[in-house]
Amino acid sequence: MRLSTLVASAAIALATAFPALADALTIYSPQGGERAAWIAEQAKAAGHDIKLLNAGGGELFDRLLAEKNNPQADVVLGMVDTSMALLKKEGLFQAYTPTWAKDLPTQFQDMDGMVYKFWQTPIVLAYYPDKLPVAEAPKSWLDLTKDQYAGKYVIGASAWQTTRMYLAGILVRFLDTSGEVSDEGWDFLSKLYAGAVVVNDADSQIEAFKSGRASIDLNWLGGTFKLAKDLGAKVKVVETDGGTPVISEGVAIMAGTDQLEQAKAFVDWFGSADVMAVYAEKFGQVPLLPEALAKSPVAVQENAKLVKPQPIDWDAIAPKLDGWLQKIELEIR
Amino acid sequence: MSRTIGLERLLYWFGLIAIGWAVLTFLLAPMAAALHAALFRHGGLAILDAIAELARSRRVRAALWNTAWLTAVTTATVTIVGMFQVAVLEYFRVKGRGFLKIAYSTPLVFGGVVAAAGYNFTYGPGGAITAALTALFPSIPRDWFIGWFGVLFAHTFLMTSFHFLFLRAAMRRVDYSTIEAARGMGASEMMILSRVVLPVIMPTVLAVTLLTLNMAVGSFAAPQVLGGRDFHMLSQMVLTLNSLRRPDMAALLALLMGVVLMGLLLLSQYFEGKGAYTSGAKATTRIQLRPIRNPLMRSVVHALAYLMAAIYLVPVALIVLFSFAPASSIGMEILPSTLTLANYALVLGGGTAFVAFFNSIFMSAGAVVVGLAVTLFAVPIMVRKRNWLTRALDASFFLPWIIPTILLAVGLIAAFDAPNPLVGNAVLLGSYWLLPIGYVILSLPLMVRFIRSAFIGIDPVFEEAARAMGASGPYRFRRVVLPLVAPTAILVAGMKFNNLMAEYPLSAFLYNVNNRPLPIAIVDGAVSADADQAAISLIYVTLIMAFSLAIILIAERLSLGRTPETSNL
Repeated sequence: MRLSTLVASAAIALATAFPALADALTIYSPQGGERAAWIAEQAKAAGHDIKLLNAGGGELFDRLLAEKNNPQADVVLGMVDTSMALLKKEGLFQAYTPTWAKDLPTQFQDMDGMVYKFWQTPIVLAYYPDKLPVAEAPKSWLDLTKDQYAGKYVIGASAWQTTRMYLAGILVRFLDTSGEVSDEGWDFLSKLYAGAVVVNDADSQIEAFKSGRASIDLNWLGGTFKLAKDLGAKVKVVETDGGTPVISEGVAIMAGTDQLEQAKAFVDWFGSADVMAVYAEKFGQVPLLPEALAKSPVAVQENAKLVKPQPIDWDAIAPKLDGWLQKIELEIR
Repeated sequence: MSRTIGLERLLYWFGLIAIGWAVLTFLLAPMAAALHAALFRHGGLAILDAIAELARSRRVRAALWNTAWLTAVTTATVTIVGMFQVAVLEYFRVKGRGFLKIAYSTPLVFGGVVAAAGYNFTYGPGGAITAALTALFPSIPRDWFIGWFGVLFAHTFLMTSFHFLFLRAAMRRVDYSTIEAARGMGASEMMILSRVVLPVIMPTVLAVTLLTLNMAVGSFAAPQVLGGRDFHMLSQMVLTLNSLRRPDMAALLALLMGVVLMGLLLLSQYFEGKGAYTSGAKATTRIQLRPIRNPLMRSVVHALAYLMAAIYLVPVALIVLFSFAPASSIGMEILPSTLTLANYALVLGGGTAFVAFFNSIFMSAGAVVVGLAVTLFAVPIMVRKRNWLTRALDASFFLPWIIPTILLAVGLIAAFDAPNPLVGNAVLLGSYWLLPIGYVILSLPLMVRFIRSAFIGIDPVFEEAARAMGASGPYRFRRVVLPLVAPTAILVAGMKFNNLMAEYPLSAFLYNVNNRPLPIAIVDGAVSADADQAAISLIYVTLIMAFSLAIILIAERLSLGRTPETSNL
């Protein structure tokens, strides 16, 4: 008897709890923490009822693929070039040209009109001059395997977008004529891992710098600045020989959305020059829209020119990345 | 009268059909899907390639070796610690028994991801104990705890909950008059322990040891959080392979674990069959606590008992303390200098931080209720009617135990990522319901295991008496059998509820935007460099512990204190 009362009350609680949850626009994004909170807050203020699901870029990617037949997301926001390219190839997106896209430089527009990039970030090699004298700092990503840097640089979890991107940036330097990574490349990567502090989470990452010997940060630019702020130390970004991988993050509307109008309105709002400029001011992210960049603080405009980009064809790399990561995870790390 | 019986028969058949459907849909179909994933890749039979790739991988080999030796060592250390606890609590006279009991009961409320995060918070590179240690001995590296030692330490002290629950109960069933008799015949203390007490509790010791083995093989949270770079175990490798989009290799590796676990399960059933004895009516003389005569021995036992209590309580105390600290002092101070309620206001204020807590309570409670209903309906049938169908049902219920959770998750995803006719062509993946369904599946083996033991342990005399007085089958079940198994049911439900509140692997795979559960929130917070997130995570941990403690206390009060004793593990 008591059991049935419990079941009945549970059913009632469910029935009342659900309609309230059904309406919000669901957005999958690797943007987490205060950035996610800011986006949610600003979107709400602008009249968009959104619900953010944030997780690591790799995890979100898996989730989107797994949910292919029952898509939960309406909008995908902030995944990097390679992930967006693969998701598009899987047929998960639909075409929509946001109102702000006409001013976007063509290399950030999508030929199929589905994925539009809105900001970019270099994945930088940076160091802490207090711990590592300027003269001794590495000059290139390929310098890291030198004995003097052993134990001084940190490689993050391979599920992180950032880690994946700089590993790819290193491996593309070793592509042979058939487009595969040469043995020399894998030897280099083995050495890179052998000399690295390898961490699985952000906590250990900070800890390696705070109390460990780490003095070289491989990170996306905003992450580098945030880490330096948390550590209360000065950080210097290296202008590397051979260039620095620059990734851009895009937004797309899912093919299976049942809230197309709301999704369009959100994408138009989020990518607009004003929102991008405010975000740049708040978090230092470099927007791609020329108008937004012009409205951004001077520091952000300088960051846009901070490093020389490494020429990388992300679309060509995207299909190979899984195999590379598998080799890294199973044999190298 | 006959109409009610007719209705009961109808309900009975309806229940049978519903359970048959549920087992087929949510247990067998996902398993078949996972097997299919293990054998085929891109539409072709590729198992040999996958095996070759696995065998080539240095890290897979390392994970296999690590899992094997750590499981063996864990089983030994847990048995030592667990038996010592039972001796201190139920056999010897030790001062402060009540306090020790509380300390030793913490693994019941402090497990899974919650405990691993808590240990990292205490002993990890940023932890208070580490800070104190390095202040005293500057030569100690800050990551002294990270690696196999930390994992073994966590296993040793966190996996004693089965000993605490079931070995203690077994100890209470030792007939004191046999001890008295032995002493009367001049037996020494050691002799009494080894020749009188041990044989009685031996079946329970073996069963509990196998449960520990089972837990250690599938351990995920401890190596993930505490293993660091150099120590990883099989379940992490399975997760990694799956995230590399090699579900075939993930499933193969998980199957290997499954075979080992299956062997263990068969062993445990063998021991259960050997050690089965009925209870419920025996008028045993209750065991009396024995003083330790040798003063040196007495001091040593006391010192060890309190040291162990400290090991259990320090992480919990630190977490509770820091949950009242301002976010800025977390990881910065050894002990917080100021206390505040602001963190609690944030979580309990009903905002977004509260949602994860609500989700977990709701889904775990629902899963436990459904699991219990299924178990209480199916187990008596399985116990009474032994035919191929009930045997198959029995084996199906144990599947989730031998199948690593991650494989179950892969199977559920594979079975329900497209319209499935078994559920009316719905696509369950991505919906709210797949995770709570997964929780029910996870809760079944333990429930079936214990409740079956309880049913087997009922002295047939009770039912015979009721039948002789003309009670109908359903009436006998309600009024005679159910009250006898209720204590076990309540206890196992409480345990499972607590497990589910801290369940990570399955949750990570199946949660959706509307049911993001607490363990996910805790891990996000624990691995976040954001101090506010870390603070919220501590509150979650504290709330889970408080909540679980309440559940366990209620369950224990309802079950252990009651006679007849029915936990006949």
